[in-house]
Amino acid sequence: MSENRFDVIVIGAGHNGLTAAATLAAQGKSVCVLERDDRIGGMSKTADLDGVQVPEMAHLLYNLNPSVAKGLGLKLDTRALPTVALSPDGNHVVIHDGTAAFVDGRVHPDAQAFATLYARLKKFAGLLGQLADGPPPALSGGVLDATTLGELAKLGKLGWGLKRLGKKDMREFLRVILSNAFDLILDEISDGPLAGALTADAVRGGYAGPRSPGTVFSLMYRLGNGGVVTWPMGGIGAVAASFESAARDRGVDIRTSVQIERLVIADDRVQGILLTNGTTLHADAVLSSAGAMQTMQIAGVANFDVEAARRMRNLRNKGTTAKVNLVLNAVPTFIGLNKEQSAARLLIAPSAREVERAFNPAKYGEMSPAPLIEAVIPTLTDSSLAPDGTHILSAVVSYAPYALEGGWTKKARAQLLENVIQTLERYAPGIGGLVSKSQVLTPVDIEKMTGAPGGHWHHAEMGIDQILTVRPANLVSRYAFGVGGLYLCGASAHPGGDVMGAAGRNAAMQVIKDGVLG
Amino acid sequence: MARRIATKPKHVPMGLIETPFFDRLNALSRAKSWSGWAGYISPLVLDTVEFEYFAIRNQATLFDISPMHKYRITGPDALAVLNRLVTRDVSKIRDARVGYVMWCDEEGMLIDDGTLFRFSETDFRLCCQEPMFTWLLDAAWSYDAQIIDESDAIAAVSLQGPTSWSVLNDAGFADVFTMKPFDWREIEPDIWISRTGFTGDLGYEIWVPWAKANALWDRLLAAGDHWGLRAIGFEALNMCRIEAGFIAAGVDFQPVHAAMRLHRGRTPIELGFGKMVHFDKGHFNGRRALLKQRESGARYALVKIDIAGFKPADGALLYHKKKKEVGFVTSGVWSPTMKSNIALAELKAPYGVDIVDDIWAEIYVNEEGQWDKRLVPVTQQDKPFFANTRARATPPRPY
Repeated sequence: MSENRFDVIVIGAGHNGLTAAATLAAQGKSVCVLERDDRIGGMSKTADLDGVQVPEMAHLLYNLNPSVAKGLGLKLDTRALPTVALSPDGNHVVIHDGTAAFVDGRVHPDAQAFATLYARLKKFAGLLGQLADGPPPALSGGVLDATTLGELAKLGKLGWGLKRLGKKDMREFLRVILSNAFDLILDEISDGPLAGALTADAVRGGYAGPRSPGTVFSLMYRLGNGGVVTWPMGGIGAVAASFESAARDRGVDIRTSVQIERLVIADDRVQGILLTNGTTLHADAVLSSAGAMQTMQIAGVANFDVEAARRMRNLRNKGTTAKVNLVLNAVPTFIGLNKEQSAARLLIAPSAREVERAFNPAKYGEMSPAPLIEAVIPTLTDSSLAPDGTHILSAVVSYAPYALEGGWTKKARAQLLENVIQTLERYAPGIGGLVSKSQVLTPVDIEKMTGAPGGHWHHAEMGIDQILTVRPANLVSRYAFGVGGLYLCGASAHPGGDVMGAAGRNAAMQVIKDGVLG
Repeated sequence: MARRIATKPKHVPMGLIETPFFDRLNALSRAKSWSGWAGYISPLVLDTVEFEYFAIRNQATLFDISPMHKYRITGPDALAVLNRLVTRDVSKIRDARVGYVMWCDEEGMLIDDGTLFRFSETDFRLCCQEPMFTWLLDAAWSYDAQIIDESDAIAAVSLQGPTSWSVLNDAGFADVFTMKPFDWREIEPDIWISRTGFTGDLGYEIWVPWAKANALWDRLLAAGDHWGLRAIGFEALNMCRIEAGFIAAGVDFQPVHAAMRLHRGRTPIELGFGKMVHFDKGHFNGRRALLKQRESGARYALVKIDIAGFKPADGALLYHKKKKEVGFVTSGVWSPTMKSNIALAELKAPYGVDIVDDIWAEIYVNEEGQWDKRLVPVTQQDKPFFANTRARATPPRPY
């Protein structure tokens, strides 16, 4: 076999691309992964800031798909982190294992209601979670079609699961599934940091506030694999490395710093990929973990129907989430938290109302003056990341809209950093003085660095109009993407974003099932 | 600061709009029988349908086709956009030629059909029944091409009938002499003539800027009296188009973008235009779906039928062995020229494809207040009902 001929080429060496590659290689296929960047990992990279290992973009694991982890034999050393919902008055709430209590041990007045709500959401999420392990159901074949019957069985299983919930829960499921997180949560618990924390998990990464429809679904999505949040030891880059070695161990050829010119297509079938250096790599199938629109452009819009191009143009993928990494020359002191508690996942979402208010400016192309922050100080859990005494505060910041009015100028970025530090100062006075270095990545930077369209964390909004059988859009939800042998395998495909890997695995399985490989 | 400017309130005109020929048509109209066509006033009949029909087949006629939607597609990628849009290979249509084209949605269902006029590789005009501007914009997205809606900038008349060449000759358009069917030419500045039409007869369509429409009309009428030229309405034209076997949007097929119900779309293959689907030209809209249908077979067949007797059969249901309902007539008319009861009909496959015999039409006849139902035999036929060598003869024959 020539060195430029493969069964499959995978575009992008993020976790989904690597999962797809490793899954196919495990089936005995020869696989090549092409990565534009000189580093592997996509959004799950560790960056070196003057000898300090910061999680460049993604920092925590919420949703790693168990089938993926098992299938690839990922060896991940992780630490589960509790969540601390910070309160401006120091009455922080610790959320752990589905229970809530004040940080000083006092009983939270909404503890019971929270536990009930959380358990119910988790139960519903588990039900939906089973749909993540395969392509979304397709029923277009009619009831006499054998494939369709299989799909019906899959839906039947969901239906049976729904039925088994009992009448009361089933009704509740159907009542809330399309609704908004704000109403659902405030129906059960009073507004404050606890409610704020739940809404924060519902909207993170999305162009949505707690009152946006579909946010109950995205909250359930976050809870799909149990809702446990973990810090991967060695940083998120270690997760990427783990995916990488799973792929390499199975014989995958990973090539970095490779620029793709276009797909080579003949007679409506993928033949390979032409690189900008003039090399052609041949393959029977191409799986792309790039965004859906970018994949369409690499393949040539002319190879798609007008409707398909229109759907891709209209995908909602306005990134709203920035990443701010701070290198600190001491452990910051959060009012009311001891050092151990400071190692938790810290949420600055003082109330559901505040979260909604933080979203408002994004609608008008402005950044939130008081942003919603998910912060973690990983050096308290993992001392290998920085020299002694140096600490990292890694913050996922909402909302910082991709299309900021006036653009992401130097001044605007400085303003974003200032807003983050000012917000942190309310809870950890003096933290600004500890910052020795900072890194600000806006959605525009994230798009530039990873190719994620709109800098969106999930490549396409996880809205009710862009999930399941309509993810990324109608008629392309089962990974096959127009041209014969071309497949989507990234976050824009079902089941979607987060460091999950399911899209990559499902796409690889679909390629095998479709029999496009010789 | 925005200033408020006092102007008369503007609104979309209410009711139907006049085409530039309306005053001329109105003066000629005895029947005052008008209909709406794409928002414009269009005559159904000006005098009597019989006079007008026979004028098409024996003399020369003028029909106002200004309400047609007309789009200009220009730019370096114009050819690529059109090849992406329509099912046939547009690169085979040469400059100064016209082609009949069909275009489909992603499921291969016909959106509309029309005529494509090629100025050059970078300049085309598409004429069709249905509004198509936004669809063309979508088709041209990411291409270097511009779409201009010329519908209310270009007026046109269709001059049809055996003496139409003679009319043009006397009107001073003698250069038309050498034009073959589907040729088109700028005969004089701002006057383009194509040898096209909707009657299956010798005929031309003449295209002028909206403002020059009346001068053209008067010039043709002045030259045409001697050749029996008369203005006509849609009804006579419709009889001729059925005789010629041409399909009409909204009648013989439902333009899929306008259809509200599921499964009302039909593919070019089902409408009998499989030969106009050029699978070897690269991707075009609906190609994958049509390819699939080529493998799996059409669901329907639009066919030409000859119905026994002379009672009008429009809308009649069709039966196999007088029992099983298998289709219906989409357009039916008694053909005065062929002296037969002709129709276009849609049959559910395999009827009309593999099973063509023993098909019956159910016709209801009202005989002076008493309804009678008849089952009459149907014969399928391949050729157009009306075909005359004068339609294609080049040079055209004078009569």
